[in-house]
Parts: sequence; C-alpha cells; structure tokens
Amino acid sequence: MGSKKLRRTGVSADICERLKRHQVETCQDVLSVTPVELMRLAGLSYPAALDLLRLVSKACVPAVSTAWDLWRKKGELCFSTSLPALDRLLQGGLPHGALTEVTGPSGCGKTQLCIMLSVLATLPRTMGGLDSGVIYIDTESAFSAERLIEMAQARFPEFFSAKERLLEMASRVHLFRELTCQDVLNRLERLEEDIIACRAGLLILDSVASVVRKEFDTSLPGNLTYRSNLLGQEAAVLKYLSQEFCIPVVLTNQITTHVGEKVHCPQWNQADVPAEEDSGFVTAALGNTWSHSVNTRLIVQYEDTERRQIVIAKSPVAPFAVLSYTIQREGIRLEGNASPESVLNQGTDPGLQPIRVRTGFIYNLSQATPSTC
Amino acid sequence: MHRTVPSLPLAPSVKVKLINAGFQVASDLTDMRPLQLCKEAGISQEEAVEVLQMLRDDGQPHQQRAATESLTALDLLHQEQALGSIVTFCSALDDTLGGGVSMGKTTEICGAPGVGKTQLCMQLAVDVQIPVCFGGLGGKALYIDTEGSFLVQRVADMAEAVVQHCTLLAEDTEQKQALEELTVEKILSNLFLVRCHDYVELLAEVYLLPDFLSKHPEVRLIVIDSIAFPFRHDFEDLSQRTRLLNGLAQQLIQLATQHSIAVVLTNQMTTRVSNGQSKLVPALGESWGHAATQRLILRWEGLRRLASLYKSPSQMEATVQYQITVQGFRDASDEHRPTPDTSAVSSQLGNHSKRPRTEDLS
Repeated sequence: MGSKKLRRTGVSADICERLKRHQVETCQDVLSVTPVELMRLAGLSYPAALDLLRLVSKACVPAVSTAWDLWRKKGELCFSTSLPALDRLLQGGLPHGALTEVTGPSGCGKTQLCIMLSVLATLPRTMGGLDSGVIYIDTESAFSAERLIEMAQARFPEFFSAKERLLEMASRVHLFRELTCQDVLNRLERLEEDIIACRAGLLILDSVASVVRKEFDTSLPGNLTYRSNLLGQEAAVLKYLSQEFCIPVVLTNQITTHVGEKVHCPQWNQADVPAEEDSGFVTAALGNTWSHSVNTRLIVQYEDTERRQIVIAKSPVAPFAVLSYTIQREGIRLEGNASPESVLNQGTDPGLQPIRVRTGFIYNLSQATPSTC
Repeated sequence: MHRTVPSLPLAPSVKVKLINAGFQVASDLTDMRPLQLCKEAGISQEEAVEVLQMLRDDGQPHQQRAATESLTALDLLHQEQALGSIVTFCSALDDTLGGGVSMGKTTEICGAPGVGKTQLCMQLAVDVQIPVCFGGLGGKALYIDTEGSFLVQRVADMAEAVVQHCTLLAEDTEQKQALEELTVEKILSNLFLVRCHDYVELLAEVYLLPDFLSKHPEVRLIVIDSIAFPFRHDFEDLSQRTRLLNGLAQQLIQLATQHSIAVVLTNQMTTRVSNGQSKLVPALGESWGHAATQRLILRWEGLRRLASLYKSPSQMEATVQYQITVQGFRDASDEHRPTPDTSAVSSQLGNHSKRPRTEDLS
C-alpha cells in the first residue's frame, strides 16, 4: 500500500513532477516527511501541504471494520491442533493472522509438532483440518518426509488407509530449504505468490533462530541492533502474510542461557531450577524484542526422561498453563491432563521463563522404532 | 503584525519573490491590493489573493478571537470534572489514575512482553461502552492494531463479563432499560478495528483521524496497540523516526484535547546496557518519553504483575498490583469475588470525578 505511486492517487500532475525531482514518488515517501518538509519539497503553502498529506493518506489507509465483523467469522479464526486440552485453553486453536512461536531445547519435539501440524492442515474441514497446502520453510534440514507419512498413518489410520490419500497429502506440503538469513528474508518477501499458488493455509518457519544465531555474533558492536532489525523485518513480513491470507504462522525458536539474577519461577518449576545464585538459567533465545513480536509463545520442555511439557507462556487469550505430553508414532499425545490445577492465573515474563532441559540421556530401548511405510 | 515574511505559511517560491521585492515584515503587505502586489512581487493573481487572505486571517480579528477563546483555570476545572474517565476494572489502578484513564489526554502504557498491555487495551475498549447511567461513558472505541494481538474471542469474553457485571448492578428502570441494549453483539459492533501493517499505514490513519472522528462523534477512545512495533525496525535514520514520532504525538494530543477523547498508546520495552548491567526501559528513545501526558509502566515482579504510574500531571506516582483473569483486567485479590456486594462494587462505577468536590464552585 505504501509503495503506491503518487500518479495513481489523484495528486495533480505538476505536484507529482515537483516531488519527483526530490525522489519522492510513492505514498511512503510522502508520508515519511513532516508537513514542513513537504512544504519545501512540493512548493506548497502549509494548509495545501496538509491537504496533500490527507489525500495521499486516503490512498493507502487500511479499511476500517468492527470487532463484530470479525466475530461473525468465528469458525475461521483458529486452527485446531487436535490436542483437546490445548485447543480448549487457546479457545479454538492456533489463531489465524498471528504468529505462534514454539521454543524449547533440542530434541524436545518442536519439529515433531510442526510436522504434526502439517498433516493436520491438509485434512478436510470435517476432520478439523484446513483442507489446504502447507508451506514449510526449513532452515535446519530437520524435516523428514518419512516421519510425515508415518505420523499421518498412525494418527488417522482409517483416513490414510488408501495410498493415494497419503501421496496427495504429501504433495500438498511444500518444502523450502533456506540456509542463510538473507535467503530467508528474500523467500519471505516473495512468498505471496507461493502461498497463492500452493493454496497454503499454514506457514511454518523452522527455525527462526538457527540462521540468525550462526550469522550474528552479538558480542560485536552493532550486530545486536542489526539482528534486531532483521528479526523485526521478518516478523513484520510474517504478520502481513498471516493477516492478509488469514492463516496461522508457526515459528520455532531455540534456547539460550540467561546470565543474571534468578527469576522467581512458578511453583511447579521450583524443584528443578539450580540452587546456586548467579548460575543463570535457560530461556527462549532471540531476546526481549523478539518476545514482543510473537503473539503466542509455547514453550516445550522436559519433565522427566519420558514426559515433556507444553507451557503456554504468552497468549492473548489463554492463561498461563502447563500440559504434559509424550511423543509417539502418531506425533504429540497429551498425557493425563484432566486436572485443572495446572492452570494458573499467574505466569512470568515470557522472555525470561526458565526452561528445563534434558539432564540425562537414558534411553528406553524397548520403545518401538519408527518404521517406514 | 510584526511577523516576518519568511515565517508565513506560504509556498516557498512565493516567499522568495516577496522578499526579493523588498517586503520584510507582514505589516508591509497589509495595505496592498491584489493587482498592485501582483505587479510589484511578480507573483500570479491567485497567489496574491491567497497571500492577502492569509494575512487577513492572521491579523487583528484573529487576535480578538484569541482573546475570547482563552480559558481560565476555573473554566478548565469545570470542564475536567464534567469529563468522565474510563474505568479499568482494577479498582487499585483506577484510584491511582484518579478514576480511570483520563479523557482529553494521551496515556502511554509500556510493558514487558506478555504482561497485559493488550489485555488492558481491550478492557478499556469494552469499558468505554458502559452506559452513562452505570457511570460509564457510553461511547464507541477505535482500536488501531499494528501487532496482530487483537483476538476477538478474548474481547467477547470481556464483553460478556462486563454485561454480567452491569446486570448485577442494575437497580432502577433507567439502568434496566440500558441493560437491555447492552449485549455482546452491540459492544463488538461499536468497536472499530483497523489493522496497520507498517508505519506508513499508521501515519496515514492518524492523518485521517479528524475526518473519522467527525463522521463518528460517539467515539470516545482511540487505542494504538502498539506504536512501537512499526517504528522499531524500518528506520536507519533515527532522526527521521524522531521527527515522525513527534509529529504523530502532536497530532494525537491535538485530537485528544479538541474532541475530548482518551488516546491510549502501547509501547514496548527495550534492553539498555549500562555499566555492564542490562535493564529494561521503554522503547522508542528518550524523546518519546515527552510525547504522552501520562505514562503507565506494567512489569513483572516474580509472579506478580505490577502497574506503576510514572508520569502524570495531576496524580501521584504509585505502584499497584493487578491480575488478568478470565473476565479480563482485574484487581489482584486471592479470593474470588462471589456475588458482589453491590455497594462496594458500585462505587467502582459510580460517578468518579478527579477530585471529589461536594460544594459547587460558581
């Protein structure tokens, strides 16, 4: 909208000419200067400059709607995650038009969750899916097509009993591999065409943190602001895409060690936080500004050797809550979450929420190994 | 009358020609006729007429107008008391703010992520619609969303809670009648929503707000959530950003005072490293701190959420605790309020004036 050329907004031709000489050609250029500067650039009086600004504003202002218009489209506002307790807390599921971040230590299940959501998105609406394609931007080369197929078959055995359905589902997931920051940003900026071509209803970026962290050494001066700017741009583009196409966007993030005074954490987390004072603790990566940019933050962490937990750390609709799960062949399975005591009316700063990492590496080798189809 | 020609709000080319023709001060021009000015300065006839008209508006009648338009502090006091305020439903915070979020002023809400800024904004957008007979303002709200955190399910929950609250309070027939019209559907329809994706759209929307307000005079609250996000990553030239933000702040203050509405802005926090220690400060720089009339900072302290009033021309600095419940933004209390004691709760919605005065000043 901001890049609309002035010629097309109804501004008179000679004013356009005068502005063009100063490299002011689009609505964005006009609105980025103050009225007094515009007087000088366009050679207008002050009231005329204000009128010009109003005229240009009319050309690029977004439409006004009401909350009631949004409410009437209630059924299309959320993407069900097929985990009933999580959907209940999120009042329907992952919101459309907003960014949902899944963060946690490695091996906890972030990519598994992403793959599971990919399967769900391709399902027909009667089964709770979006009946659409999925765009999966993979920066860690962690996506496994075999796991996708296995999960689909294990989770919905009757539906995917026919081989054509499996192949059709797999053909709807579009994978893009990007390995540097600039590649990711370029891909995002050109993504509109891909979304329309693939008829995508879900956008997954796995992960945001890996490319950014390997390219920016934040101890060097200037890098921190540059990294924040880049992340801000990515967030803005993703929000624009999710809003315009009304689709959910899922991002994954990593963890970092926060060195500083210990943050007092909720009761259930007390036992596992290290007792020493200045030891620091593990929390979501990418900093405080990024915590502002995401709308919903889900933290996955370890509970014990087998079970893990999803923590809703930041959400505009859900209270702070903890749900236990395990990872099975069919993906994420919630375990024993009928008790509502795990729902607290409290919480803590989602940018400083301590996360439990894996402390031991004891494998239960009798668990079934994944089989190929 | 002693205004110099370069300071007049005319087009630069016209000013240059006037100066070259020897006109230094505005009083040099007052007795001129258009054709004479046209020949002496070499400007076109329309431009000459424009110059003279502008001077006429600028001259004596304007000064006379100015004399009658000036207000005394007494007039202002009456005005301020007549304006209500928007309750936040957290009585501790309302007391700190002197009744609630003030009308006619800009209020900035800063806070760490997830602390409840958007919750408070949504609560205010619902609370401004409480009918006048219940002590509210009965107005509409405009919500400018730049982050995408506005989720209508949450607003619907808050609206439902407010309707129930009013149902419990309704005593006389006027209130009961108003209650019949107060439904979740009506509350949601009176909440205008604009989604801006970048700073250009935000600036465009603010330039057009005067037109919007004249078309919808019942709007009593404008929320911009958040003003920080679009301005934090697109600018390499920070001085340009400061100029634009200052212009924006000025326009919002003008809107707030001229139309007697409340303007609420949300800001983010940024990390500032000093002496090896990092702490969170409001984003957008030091100069932005002057932009809003009132500043409220929300923060976490361990598990508690605290709200501090940091800047206000009329209220004292204070810190209170609040919490976010299913019904929305509320006081931090450990026990639930069961059927509320109507006298205690109705005082929340009672006619709040800034300084309760029993005697009439006249």
